[in-house]
Amino acid sequence: MHGFFFLQLLTGLATAAQLFLLAAGLTVIFGVTRVVNFAHGSLYMLGAYLGYSLITRAPPTPVGFALGALATAAIVAALGAALEIGLLRRLYRAPDLFQLLATFAVALMAEDLTQRVWGAEDLALPRPGFLAAAVRIGAARFPLYDLVLIGLGPAVYLALLALFRTTRWGVLVRAATADRDMLACLGVDQRWLFTGVFALGAGLAGLGGALGLPDATATLQMGFSSVTDAFVVVVVGGLGSLSGAALASLLIGLLQAFGIALVPRSTLVLVFVVMAVALVLRPHGLLGRVPDETGRAAMPDLIRPATPALRALALAALLAALALPFVAGPFLLSVATEALIALLFAASLHLMMGPGGMASFGHAAWFGLGAYGAALAALALRAPLPLALVMGMLLAGAVAALFGLVVVRLAGVYLAMLTLAFAQIVWAGAMQFGEISGGDNGLLGVWPPRWLGGPVGFYFLALALCVGGALVLRRALQAPFGYALRGARDAPQRAAAIGLDITRLRWAAFTLAGAAAGLAGALFAFAKGSVFPTYLGLGRSVDALLMVLLGGIGTMSGPFVGAVVYTGLYDALLLATDAWRLVLGAAIVAMVLLFPQGIAGAAARRVRA
Amino acid sequence: MLEVERLCSFYGRAQILHDVGFAIAPGSVAVLLGRNGAGKSTVLKSLIGLVPPRAGRIRFQTADIAGLPPHRIARAGIGYVPEERRVFADLTVAENLETGRHPPRPGLAPWTQARLFALFPALAELRRRPAGRMSGGEQQMLAIARTLMGNPRLVLLDEPGEGLAPLMLRQIEQAVRALRDEGVSLLIAEQGPAFARAVADQVLVMEKGAIVWSGSQAALAADAPARQRYLAP
Repeated sequence: MHGFFFLQLLTGLATAAQLFLLAAGLTVIFGVTRVVNFAHGSLYMLGAYLGYSLITRAPPTPVGFALGALATAAIVAALGAALEIGLLRRLYRAPDLFQLLATFAVALMAEDLTQRVWGAEDLALPRPGFLAAAVRIGAARFPLYDLVLIGLGPAVYLALLALFRTTRWGVLVRAATADRDMLACLGVDQRWLFTGVFALGAGLAGLGGALGLPDATATLQMGFSSVTDAFVVVVVGGLGSLSGAALASLLIGLLQAFGIALVPRSTLVLVFVVMAVALVLRPHGLLGRVPDETGRAAMPDLIRPATPALRALALAALLAALALPFVAGPFLLSVATEALIALLFAASLHLMMGPGGMASFGHAAWFGLGAYGAALAALALRAPLPLALVMGMLLAGAVAALFGLVVVRLAGVYLAMLTLAFAQIVWAGAMQFGEISGGDNGLLGVWPPRWLGGPVGFYFLALALCVGGALVLRRALQAPFGYALRGARDAPQRAAAIGLDITRLRWAAFTLAGAAAGLAGALFAFAKGSVFPTYLGLGRSVDALLMVLLGGIGTMSGPFVGAVVYTGLYDALLLATDAWRLVLGAAIVAMVLLFPQGIAGAAARRVRA
Repeated sequence: MLEVERLCSFYGRAQILHDVGFAIAPGSVAVLLGRNGAGKSTVLKSLIGLVPPRAGRIRFQTADIAGLPPHRIARAGIGYVPEERRVFADLTVAENLETGRHPPRPGLAPWTQARLFALFPALAELRRRPAGRMSGGEQQMLAIARTLMGNPRLVLLDEPGEGLAPLMLRQIEQAVRALRDEGVSLLIAEQGPAFARAVADQVLVMEKGAIVWSGSQAALAADAPARQRYLAP
């Protein structure tokens, strides 16, 4: 038993070291630049691929390996600097979600480009003697390399601490973390400071990717999977806190080692449960602090009743939508049905994110719950279509109401991360409880009944429910509820002082958004005839985020425009090119740089100007 | 040293400054007086570049600095001490001073930590203390000292006496005199005339975003109607 304990301890420490190398750069970058860098995982992935190329060309000795890893770190650091200068520097004054959108687009492009350079095959590092060596611990053998990692983690941590404590550069970086404008008034050009910080963070990611090679393979998926892990560590530790990241790495690494050994089925859920518990107990992470929101760009927010021109445009769009089935073929009709569902999904997230001020990274949870609820009602309970839709919506709404009790007390990135954690937990549940959900195989045969009249009938149903639902949400925002909600977002203390119950308002918005997303999911289940765990996945949450941000968060027509443009772009790209990630990423970057207010926002500005 | 002409600044769509103009001679102290909301802070923020002016010229020494980013203006030789002091709370006193450090300028004796500790003896003992754990007066001294580390030729002080005990106030006054004796120019925004009386060579009175009266201290003392009109609470 002692042997087992010690071995798991070492395994946990090695995992912790690996996690820390992954997350340290992210937290350093966030701490100074306030950029939530979604491309951090891609830098880590590049570290792995570049590391593979360099290390396999170096002599198979420890020195060759170390030099290869360091060279990798240097190259990735240079790439990070280029990313900062070329893209992020233009976005510091934009709302933080735009930086997220832009870095997400970079992650998409990185995945595509990596595949073009290194191919789709996973790359495993050959294991020369010094990497395959092991030490005996009791009856078991423990890899020598992992022992080296256990030493490297703390060494990097201490080196970073020394850098920030003792050098002028470190002092300036810490000052910039606290108050960039004041530092600028002292004559410090923060642009180069930020570039340096970005290079440092990227270099750490590259180093982590290269050092992770002996224990894992380089895969194209690791960009998105590792960024989730990194976010969890950074959020649990407290955004921007290096020591917090170290502590959180340790906690998660050890919990993982022991948790998996004791309860093997906990693998997928455990990490997110840790994050959820940590955030409920400490809303700003273990060592985080309440963020200073001064200097943030305020969301442009001019939600007004539609102008006559906009009404006319909307009416024309509606008429076109009504006429569509009579001219469109089956493929276009199915794309249009999806766009309608996307519209309701996006509108529900917009309610939370825009007027509600609660950005969610896990909005797919409600969409997926609605889909599963409707599918289970239809399959297991033999419920007719209308009842199944209602049950899907109610399931999502009820779970959102329960979860909302906890989550609406948080704010900003923390709230976004807790919603992500919840969505991942639901996703893991759907994967693991196959008896109910069908697991990875999903639930099949959820088709609309014959009386509905096939795809055309379903299209009209979707049109009625989605446009109707989105209009209901829009109406709610122009009611006193919507004004109170925006008041609570913009000036929580003042709103509370005039007697608004902020928590309840936010909870109501959260529940409403969850139910609406659930209805969208329920419709989607019938549109596709099936439900899969991917409906709950990060990808779908990101779809919703992209649609809302593309459309523009400060306008009511934003989600309408964003949903249609995004669905159209996505489907068109998927058909037209195998480089859809590259093109979509580039398109998003271009849009973020050209229309920092979103498409509808930009149009609205033009009209007003 | 500094010439400001027809300066107009905005917050969003709201115009705050209307054609502000004045000049400061080398080595002199000018005080901006005016009621709360008159636009004094905005003048200083426009000069340092935090609120870039939409129109007008700011000539500092030989260069037009209007529209430059704050770090370029600071490097040109203008120091800014904001009303809220904005010391870096997590950094120690010594580290805060380090953030302001820039190379010496010809004709000015360079500021060092040692010289600043002589100017503000209270700071010397607090060298290793995080700035967040100091009193308001100590933070004010640190904020001034930090700016001086950049060896500015002109220092903008926004309400340096606000909320300070009389003893602290006197120390700040002494420091301002010492700076002027070093040849540093100062532009000080103040709500009450007390501080100005002690140090000002020139008084500028603001109301509703414009300069409505300017002259020497003695002239202001003699002009009772102006004081009544612009400065009475």
